[in-house]
Amino acid sequence: MNERFELPAELNIYSALDTRDALLAWIADQGAKGREALDVSAQDVVEIDGAGLQLVASLSNLEQSWRLVASSDVFSEACRTLGFAVWVDGRDFKGGNGSASA
Amino acid sequence: MSNDADLDFIAQAMPAFISEAAEQIEAIETLLLELEEQPDNRELLDSLFRCAHTVKGSAGIFGLNRVVEFTHHVETLLDKMRDGDIGLTPDISTLLLQCNDQIKFLVDTAADESADTAELKDARADLVIRLRSLTDGSAPTPVKAAAAAASASAADGGVRVWTISARFGVETFRNGMDPLSIARYLGTLGKVLKVRCISDGVPPLGNLNPESCYLSFVMELETAASREDIEGAFSFVMDDCELDVVAPETPGQKLARAIEDMPATPRLGDMLVSVGAVTQAKLKEVLSTQEQTRGMPVVEKAKIGDLLEAQAGVPPEAVAAALGKQQKLREATTPATEERYIRVQADRLDAVINLLGELVIAGAGATLLARESRQVALIEANLHMNSLIEEIRNGTLGLRMVPVGETFSRFRRVVRDTAASLGKEVNFEIVGGDAELDKSMVEKIADPLMHLVRNSLDHGLEPPNERLNAGKPASGKLVLSARHETGAILIRIEDDGRGINRERVLQRAWNRGLVEQGFVPPDDDINMLIFEPGFSTAEQVTNLSGRGVGMDVVRRNIEALRGSIRLNSNPGKGLQVDIRLPLTLAIIDGFLVGVGKSKFVLPLESVVEVIESGGQNIKVDSHGRHCVELREAVLPVVRLRTLYTVESSLPDRVSIVVVNSPRGKFGIEVEVLLGQNQTVIKPLGRLFRSLRGISGSSILGSGEVALILDVTSLAELTTAVQNGTSVAATAQGSVPA
Repeated sequence: MNERFELPAELNIYSALDTRDALLAWIADQGAKGREALDVSAQDVVEIDGAGLQLVASLSNLEQSWRLVASSDVFSEACRTLGFAVWVDGRDFKGGNGSASA
Repeated sequence: MSNDADLDFIAQAMPAFISEAAEQIEAIETLLLELEEQPDNRELLDSLFRCAHTVKGSAGIFGLNRVVEFTHHVETLLDKMRDGDIGLTPDISTLLLQCNDQIKFLVDTAADESADTAELKDARADLVIRLRSLTDGSAPTPVKAAAAAASASAADGGVRVWTISARFGVETFRNGMDPLSIARYLGTLGKVLKVRCISDGVPPLGNLNPESCYLSFVMELETAASREDIEGAFSFVMDDCELDVVAPETPGQKLARAIEDMPATPRLGDMLVSVGAVTQAKLKEVLSTQEQTRGMPVVEKAKIGDLLEAQAGVPPEAVAAALGKQQKLREATTPATEERYIRVQADRLDAVINLLGELVIAGAGATLLARESRQVALIEANLHMNSLIEEIRNGTLGLRMVPVGETFSRFRRVVRDTAASLGKEVNFEIVGGDAELDKSMVEKIADPLMHLVRNSLDHGLEPPNERLNAGKPASGKLVLSARHETGAILIRIEDDGRGINRERVLQRAWNRGLVEQGFVPPDDDINMLIFEPGFSTAEQVTNLSGRGVGMDVVRRNIEALRGSIRLNSNPGKGLQVDIRLPLTLAIIDGFLVGVGKSKFVLPLESVVEVIESGGQNIKVDSHGRHCVELREAVLPVVRLRTLYTVESSLPDRVSIVVVNSPRGKFGIEVEVLLGQNQTVIKPLGRLFRSLRGISGSSILGSGEVALILDVTSLAELTTAVQNGTSVAATAQGSVPA
């Protein structure tokens, strides 16, 4: 398993169910590895809607903490538009390459 | 098939549409005339727009395209006026009134395309061109009067910061909607200052159904867009979305709200002082500035609100709110127009009232039988039933009562247009428009009144220069008033014109042979000559009146309503026309009296008291008239027994019923008092029409017929001068027992 979770290019209502299951599996795996923080990357996201953002937002209601470690322009714009600017603002994703993750 | 059903439905609903549209059209006219007087009144303008919109909308349902097309142009103009682009000038007002006439015509002839001649079409096209020249003129010249309204709407429609909170329904995503796109769209309306998505409600990933929506957001949006525009963004999710759109208050708006919340305070300055928008000292200073402009024409006189804005730095919103509050207080005294109504067909109501009449008679019959049976319980039960019947009667008759003012206000337009076409200036006043009158009466009185009003304008009021020469103000005065007066309503049309020229009337009467050459009747009789058929003194026959038809019809119409008409002319000073009408045509409270075997009913409202008098010992003249002394005053009395030659053996003691009449108190001598009685008025047969002093008949519980006395005409008989032989002759018919 990757150390960080790559959100799919199409992060919307159509893929939401699959993405959720993939995320759940990945989180369980991370938990098994004893990792506290979850690193999520949105660098591949080219299509996003409210359902996709809601899915990411639900990470905030988990016991583990999570952070966004990479973001595409599309994803950042959507976050700012709908009021999730805290995920992306003030963070330097270094060209969306995801290298910010530890 | 379904098409036929549709047509059927439309045919059935059409009369309702036409009557409703007629009401709207009437309202438009009234509103326009009111708006002329208060051009800044936003609510009037809004109501005006709504009326026009309603007419257009319902005409659309019925497929009346001509109405829709035409009204659309009117609506466009009204809309521009609402936006403050165009102010109401007298020209626009006249144009709109003409357009309203056109709409009325189109609605009236909705079913008949052939009534719409080429000429009328041209006239309509002309109106449309004028409307469009106003609305298309892209450089609207803001009228001075509209400036205040414009500044108010700037506070209303200018850029401001809206707080939008939206909580989306669970089904939002499944319905194909997306909060993200809504947020994006809102971003295009203005500048998003802040947006925060609230995801606390989103379940943890494991429990999340990613196709359900748990999101809500709060956004601060700086925009010039209206509330409607903002809410429009949510129109597809409205059903299951909790939405709250608020404009946070600027300091000025806070003051405005404080003023809005204030209890009634009449003066603008005081209002602003008490909310702290301006200090008392500053207000004084500003008031003194305003004082300096006193004496200037009203248009140039500085307004206190403008001065406060300019000199004391009061925020314009606060001034606008204070002005609005003042306006509302003024309006609070006039009843709201949007009351709740139930529409009932007039003939159904009439049927109820007819039945009620029968019920009253049957009830009286039952009471009579109960009395004869001497069973106390039965009598009491009957009394109770009768008092209930009486209440129902009053309530039902009340349903037919409408304020006479509705008819009066129709005359505003007539006066306005007539005066303009005659080149006269008139101040038209309506007094006591809330006096109520039976609906059928109101309808029947409208035409005679219209005629009298026109007559006053045409013949009564002089042209301005003639008035100035006579030492009167250039603009004439015409007052239409109504008030209740002992069981009747008095409608008075009063002008300060030239009055009736008695010499000319008499001359004309001699020439036409209406009065014997050389005979000079009393002044009042001369005045009444103008109501004779074929009489006209107008030297110049105008297209309004003076063709000699009408005045006699006016009198006939009023008398047919059991009413009377009187003239009070003051040559050179003015004319007063008094029309007295009974309040209702159906049932009255009566006072039953008897003379010999005959029964008579007096309207209870006119009865003052009953006194005793010696019967046989008093000498009467041939018409049954004599006098008694009542509390050191002379009271003329009429003896019914002699007046109507009723056969009876005159008892020693008789009763005199003292009644009030427009001519003063007088007595009616009767033999038996039978007490209060609900009287259902039935018309008199043709044979008895000429009988003076009697206005109708009624059937008593016992099946007997009683005659209803007309107090006013009895009073005339009582006080008539001896030489009026014909008067007494008609009165002296014998009365059916």
